[in-house]
Amino acid sequence: MSIIQSFPLVIILVLLITAFMMPLIKNTKIIKGISLVSMTSVMILALINLDFVHKNGEYLYRIGHFNAPYGIEFRIGIIEAMMGLLFTFVALMIIWYSIYSIEKEIKQSKIGLYYLLVNILIGSLLGVVYSNDLFNCFVFIEVGTLASCGTIIVKDKKENIKATLKYLIMSCLGSGLVLMGIAYLYSMTGHLNINYIHAELVKCYLIYPNAVLISIVLFIIGLGVKSAMFPLHNWLPDAHSSAPSSSSAILSSLVLKAFVLLLIKILYGVFGMDILNHFSVLNIVLILGSLGMIMGSVFAIFQKNIKRVIAYSTVAQMGYIFLGIGLGTNLGVSIAIFHIIGHAVTKSALFLLAGAMIEQTGHKSLAQLKGIGREMPLTLGLFSIGALSMIGIPVLPGFISKWHLSLASIAAGDTILIVVILLSSLLNAVYYSPIVINGFFGEENLQGKVYKSKSKPLKELMPVIFLVISMIYVGIASRGIINLISLGLM
Amino acid sequence: MATIKFNEVKRNIFVSIGVILNLIFLITIFYMFGEISIHLIKLNEFLDIYLKIDKLSIMFSLLVAILWIFTTFYAMEYMKHEGKEKRFFTFFLATLGVTIGIAFAGNLITLYAFYEFLTLTTFPLVIHTDSKEALKSGKKYLIYSFIGATFVLLGMILLFSITKDITFNAHGILPALTKENRSLYLLSYVSMFLGFGVKAAIVPFHSWLPAAMVAPTPVSALLHAVAVVKSGIFAIIRMSYFIFGAKIIKELHVNIFLSILIVISILLGSFLALHQENLKKRLAYSTISQLGYVLLGVVLLNEDAFVGSLLHLINHALIKIVLFFCVGAIMYTTGKTDISQIRGIGKQMPITMGCFGIAAISLIGIPPTNGFVSKWYLAQGGLTSGEMIFPAILLFSALLTALYLLPVITEAFFKKGEHTIVKEAPMKMLIPIVMITIIVVLLGLFPNILITFIQQIASEVI
Repeated sequence: MSIIQSFPLVIILVLLITAFMMPLIKNTKIIKGISLVSMTSVMILALINLDFVHKNGEYLYRIGHFNAPYGIEFRIGIIEAMMGLLFTFVALMIIWYSIYSIEKEIKQSKIGLYYLLVNILIGSLLGVVYSNDLFNCFVFIEVGTLASCGTIIVKDKKENIKATLKYLIMSCLGSGLVLMGIAYLYSMTGHLNINYIHAELVKCYLIYPNAVLISIVLFIIGLGVKSAMFPLHNWLPDAHSSAPSSSSAILSSLVLKAFVLLLIKILYGVFGMDILNHFSVLNIVLILGSLGMIMGSVFAIFQKNIKRVIAYSTVAQMGYIFLGIGLGTNLGVSIAIFHIIGHAVTKSALFLLAGAMIEQTGHKSLAQLKGIGREMPLTLGLFSIGALSMIGIPVLPGFISKWHLSLASIAAGDTILIVVILLSSLLNAVYYSPIVINGFFGEENLQGKVYKSKSKPLKELMPVIFLVISMIYVGIASRGIINLISLGLM
Repeated sequence: MATIKFNEVKRNIFVSIGVILNLIFLITIFYMFGEISIHLIKLNEFLDIYLKIDKLSIMFSLLVAILWIFTTFYAMEYMKHEGKEKRFFTFFLATLGVTIGIAFAGNLITLYAFYEFLTLTTFPLVIHTDSKEALKSGKKYLIYSFIGATFVLLGMILLFSITKDITFNAHGILPALTKENRSLYLLSYVSMFLGFGVKAAIVPFHSWLPAAMVAPTPVSALLHAVAVVKSGIFAIIRMSYFIFGAKIIKELHVNIFLSILIVISILLGSFLALHQENLKKRLAYSTISQLGYVLLGVVLLNEDAFVGSLLHLINHALIKIVLFFCVGAIMYTTGKTDISQIRGIGKQMPITMGCFGIAAISLIGIPPTNGFVSKWYLAQGGLTSGEMIFPAILLFSALLTALYLLPVITEAFFKKGEHTIVKEAPMKMLIPIVMITIIVVLLGLFPNILITFIQQIASEVI
């Protein structure tokens, strides 16, 4: 057994252990340093691990002394390793960005707590991604939920408390449903390990058709709540818009994605295509995904606060992912995972940039952010690239997801879905382009604005620039990435 | 360009060197390599940014490059009273690059990518004045363009799902029409035709074009003459003859229905032009009608019509740019924009209005102007396809063209106006106007070189 195989466990342990070191330290500079160093090191570990998995194929990693089905194990395939790298990379960029600006949003005394929560959050998300044991996943889900609530409420404003309570209640409902689903599965099969459940379930699903159906629906709804599947998304705009910008970025680009990945894992790993086809439940995911794509964008059009626009846009983008999952083909799921990657880098950049605008100007509403392109040209320029990806300009990842999703839906025989996909991209243009246009152009908008007067130092924007570069890279390297994903899905 | 702070003279030199070098570079490429192809980035089988030069792209890119040079010099003077020249020239050059990209695109996805970029680079030019009205028109332009692009994308996806290949090839690339794929072909063709038709200002999607008249005159001239609307038509030609191929479109019988839409464009454009007081708007509606001619030639699907269509594409480009430049010159020197205001201006600005007159007569199509030549071929194409109605419509529309253009000339030359003293526009504006007018006249007198070249293109694709 190679030492590299244990890296996923090491990653989680490093994150959790460093997290609990933070409260012991008073000096905020050291805390930030620890946070950066720990995240950088786990990113390197994740990179090495991805390389290893790519060369040697997937493996199961036993934790503790007992073999599965009694002990817990991690299952590290290409997709899990890729997600590990994605999560750590995006988290590192967000932390790097936040070390310059976090004081402006939260109190000095809470900074230690904040970085503690971020490390726990990333650690638990990676746990959800890596684990091959449903109950273990559930534990990580609960830890992650509490930590993500913490990253919102840390700002200590009235709206944060309200948003967090809403999030907490919805989230707990979701976790409860997931737990019930696990309980159903356990009572039918006597296992918690995904592979073992699957093996048992294939034999017995015709005996308990109702129980299997109920458990599938429980998982879809439970994880749907947590990953903002329309119409269970209503907690998301409040939570994402009131949180500190770096938290919004993590919540929107990573937290939602971990739960979607778990859903993919459960649907295709635990149940498998035969069972899903037998009950034709994927259509629920498909329809809700399509609805989300349209409705999320429609809601975004009517928002006045820039962060709420981006938050509703997330609902729409999650719709793309659910659409891909709901198609129920290898290609569909590959594109869903590709979209997870593309959207993670894009949306985190957009949230951080919106945060930079709010921080420098003190304004949140779109009306007051007109003419921002003159005051902060680089910031809005980067924002425009992200917006172009969302609108779907060729070569950027947004276009690639759209194109492949359309082809996948033709292949799956649902040609009508192309209309949904294209309509949604058109709606994206409707709410992203005014931000850019009013930012850069218009006599009234630019009146009294001084060129570059509020721009952030280049050094503080570097992490966002990296995110934007990686976004373009994801677009250009899409062929390789999608091939790799479909390889991992085999 | 945007980052370097030029002073005015340096910037002008830089821009002119840029556009002239561009032309020289193009000509060298054509001489040295002839027809070549380059894969810029090949991401996968569909996302393949691929450039390929054939005769059609040579024709279009030369037209673009030459007119761009004239417009550059004209704009240097004209933009003085509009201001923000730095921004203007930045996007002006970017648009040139993108338009050349459209000309050279070797497959549909590259064409689509450049087509989207064209929207993005022309948008700042359209809203150059930054006034509320400009932003409103710009928004309209953007919405229409994005809707058009979405239709194109829809058609492209449907097409790709059948063929797995969208490289341009003369005579088309599609497998033969069968009962099963008929509806998919039909949907894909119509959706792409309408999508590109948005930029070519086909009637239900035309209203962005008059609205975009709020742009500075050089921009309107370019939008009308070459850059935007002609890119739309160029894309339709590419899509019709190089993806679908004339044979399949004929079998689909889709061209008959589209020709009805186009005839409506021709007539409605002319009728609406009659009512416009504003000179630029009158020219804008005239463009809608003239673009109908070009598209008619495309959908008739025979060689004569196609030759006429390409000829008219070039002729209309040259004529319209002269007309716009003249109107711009009047606006620049006198600030007047409406027909009723320009009484007697022909005496004070004889060269400008003279050129306007020549261009107007060419557009109406009186022999021996170049407008006559292209309309002749179009009419012949209409007869070849066996429909008497098309030549009749062309004649009727020529009459309407006369009705909306001649009053301008009579107002200018034969009516007495107020006796304010106005001089001709500065040389930088006048020279481009005169030179393009000379080209127009020469093309009317000696059209054979061009016709031979275009007939070569036509014989290759039909």
